[in-house]
Amino acid sequence: MSLLGFHDVHALYGNARILNGVTFSIAASERVALVGRNGVGKTTIVNTLCGMTHVAQGDVEIRGKKIRNLRGYTAAQNGISIVLQGRGIIPNLTVEENLLLGAATRRPGPWSVARVQELFPILAERRNSPGLALSGGQQQMLAIGRALMANPDLLILDEPSEGLAPVVVDELAALLIRLGKDGLGILLIEQNVGLIHRVAERFYVLSKGAIAESGSLLNVSRDELQRHIAI
Amino acid sequence: MFIQILNGIVYGGLLYLLAVGLVLIFGLREVVNFAHGALFMLGAYIGFAVSAAGYWWGGLVVSMVAMAIVGCALDATVFRTLRKQDHIVTVLVTFGLMLILETVVTAIWGKAYLRYPVPPLLAGTVDIFGEPFPVYRLFVIAVAVAIALSLTAWLRFTRIGLYVRAASTDPRITSIQGINVDSLSLIVVGLGTALAGLSGVVAGPLLSLSPTMGNYILIDSFIVVVIGGLGSFAGAFIAALLIGQIHNFGAVYLPWAATILPFLLMVGILIWRPTGFAGSRT
Ligand SMILES: Nc1ncnc2c1ncn2[C@@H]1O[C@H](COP(=O)(O)OP(=O)(O)O)[C@@H](O)[C@H]1O
Ligand SMILES: [Mg+2]
Repeated sequence: MSLLGFHDVHALYGNARILNGVTFSIAASERVALVGRNGVGKTTIVNTLCGMTHVAQGDVEIRGKKIRNLRGYTAAQNGISIVLQGRGIIPNLTVEENLLLGAATRRPGPWSVARVQELFPILAERRNSPGLALSGGQQQMLAIGRALMANPDLLILDEPSEGLAPVVVDELAALLIRLGKDGLGILLIEQNVGLIHRVAERFYVLSKGAIAESGSLLNVSRDELQRHIAI
Repeated sequence: MFIQILNGIVYGGLLYLLAVGLVLIFGLREVVNFAHGALFMLGAYIGFAVSAAGYWWGGLVVSMVAMAIVGCALDATVFRTLRKQDHIVTVLVTFGLMLILETVVTAIWGKAYLRYPVPPLLAGTVDIFGEPFPVYRLFVIAVAVAIALSLTAWLRFTRIGLYVRAASTDPRITSIQGINVDSLSLIVVGLGTALAGLSGVVAGPLLSLSPTMGNYILIDSFIVVVIGGLGSFAGAFIAALLIGQIHNFGAVYLPWAATILPFLLMVGILIWRPTGFAGSRT
């Protein structure tokens, strides 16, 4: 069954039409990459899922159910956690409070503060620090930990490697591979071709407001993929 | 001297009750509510009407409940819509709301000053360092302290309080965690206006009632919010105490400058720290 599907979605910010008939879908436990140049509308897809654009045409489906009135909380309440571009840590809340926020939906599942802290010991060590005191890599762990607290079936990450040192990106890759093996669906919005190749099985290329290409990552070389991203 | 300080704390307490409502509403809705002083005034009149029938404490409760309902209605109809608008639109709309409330109250109760009685239980004075001090003023301080403590505990130690703090910093990120910020706003704006009602009733016997009684104190409350740092509850508490003292000492020692002193302090603090004492929002 499809966890998340966009069907011919046209979306606008005010009068600016950014998505022009986007169609894609992600099934349970699939690991899918979404690539495209800067400013092409990748984040707009996330924002559309969160009800922050005007959908002029087309449907967004979650678990095969058409969602008419998308709101900020719709995805999370339906088992889709989002790690926002720029991480979206609330700076004046402590690390632990940021984590607790992730459990707001109270969906049952294996994740808890203790389990997230076990996965990322630094989040236990710094539990009482304000979110803004963390380094970029630590903030990314916190953002992912917070997303897991909702016990999602699908994790959407919007450019998680942005601004991270290469070793931290390696850790991120290992983590996402592990989460994927445990059955978590992943939608990875990325520019880092290495990370995409390690984590995802399939890809979509967004260009001019629509999906221009898609397929298995087994059949594309890094260079070919890179061409879709670079200008 | 000590009596002057206590009087400053009384005024600071009233300011805090108003400022914290402004902070709550601004935090969740990003609406600078120019009608907050009029809500304070409406709360005072509602309490007055009930207390005139002989139920002073009933007036306090009825006013808070009525103002909470008014707040929820305002949030659902006005503030929710304003969120997507330009700031100048929210200023104009809430300013218009203020004029409407003043007109309604004038139509019902007239323009003349009305005297809100002190409840019999709190009449009289106590001696503090040999000087008489009205018991009622001590009660006002106690109310403000009780609200400050319970609000702080609520924000700090409850799940909803955590969501409120989160949404006050970033409503968008908060909603993406699965939290319905509109429902949360209903609670928070209702609480903020209920506190305006409480403040109005409690201030009634000190200020005497008129349809414009909320205007001056609203300006001081805005100054408190700005000095405290937009969106900071602790900052609002400290700033309210500070402005309360300045207001009172100004009135006693520098009457000609009393109304501009809070402004001067605000400008000074903004130059020193543009985000206020504890501000995280710009
Ligand atoms: N809130 C907004 N209002 C209007 N235009 C926006 C907004 N956010 C992004 N855009 C525009 O939409 C286009 C797509 O942006 P975005 O989805 O962020 O791109 P990407 O994530 O692929 O880099 C860009 O041209 C950007 O300028
Ligand atoms: Mg983006």
